[in-house]
Amino acid sequence: MSGMDYKGDSYYIGKVLAGNINAYSYLVDMHKDKAFNLAFRICGNREEAEEVSQDAFLKAFKSLRGFRMKSSFETWLYRIVYNTAISLVRSRKKGVLAIEDFPADVIDFLSYNPNTGDAVTEFRNSLVSFALLKITEEERALISLYYYDEKDTSAISEITGISKTNVKVKLFRARRKIIEIISKVEKKNMIYYE
Amino acid sequence: MNKEERFEHEILRKYINSDSIEKAPEGFTSKTMTRIRIEAESPVMTVRAYLNRYRVPLVSTVITAALLAALIFIPAGQSGTISQLVLKYIGNSGISLPKIDLSAMPSLNMPGWFSYAVIGIILLAFFDRALSGLFRRHRV
Repeated sequence: MSGMDYKGDSYYIGKVLAGNINAYSYLVDMHKDKAFNLAFRICGNREEAEEVSQDAFLKAFKSLRGFRMKSSFETWLYRIVYNTAISLVRSRKKGVLAIEDFPADVIDFLSYNPNTGDAVTEFRNSLVSFALLKITEEERALISLYYYDEKDTSAISEITGISKTNVKVKLFRARRKIIEIISKVEKKNMIYYE
Repeated sequence: MNKEERFEHEILRKYINSDSIEKAPEGFTSKTMTRIRIEAESPVMTVRAYLNRYRVPLVSTVITAALLAALIFIPAGQSGTISQLVLKYIGNSGISLPKIDLSAMPSLNMPGWFSYAVIGIILLAFFDRALSGLFRRHRV
């Protein structure tokens, strides 16, 4: 289904509430990537992210009648994904990663990809994924919502239940931590690109 | 955002952007929908959906049935059941309810119980609005 054909969240919600379960697949299709990405950034692996995002869609379906449309469906779904992912991460054993644990250097990426620009982009993506694993799950969620989903601090506050001021403070700290990790790995790899 | 924050923000922007989001795996929608269909067809979900859809008439039926049962079966002392007591009370309602003076409107020729019925209907209408607001609050 293309975005052009999509008739809006409230249209499909109405259909589902009227008893057409299949209409829910349009909502899943429209929001799956963003929901999955948020779950992935918080959990740090694809298997758990898939489980979390599926659980979140299922929870949303069960509670759809109670959804008051005060916020958008996306914000509401994000809140469910956020809470489900945070609970999962907190319930599992924590492991601490060292900078040396970063699995590759830029040379590896260059050897796989002769295009320097693409290799650098891939390297940066991996480095960010690694850096995200070294900060807390809450900070990961904030960074993901702010940078990947381009949500403003008010929307993030609504999704996470953290006050707007606190979101700003936590984002500032998370940003600083990530930059510190990135610069350490880059120093280790002696990377000096623009 | 101050100058330092903006600088750090710009650095991070180079690394993270909305184009590099991790996409859901192949078949995600169909897998999710399969789980949802199984859940929707489960007896618990079916009962929950039924209760959700018909909760207003169900609640009022249950309350009415409970009140009727109480009236019929609960004894109100040695003389008989509550229903007999209530009937007796209604019979004496002219004494126990406040007297409404209709002499100011001599042209109106209504039975005595009519003014009580009108007040009762108005009170019930308010009660209905309050209950309706309470139950419909959760609807989309």
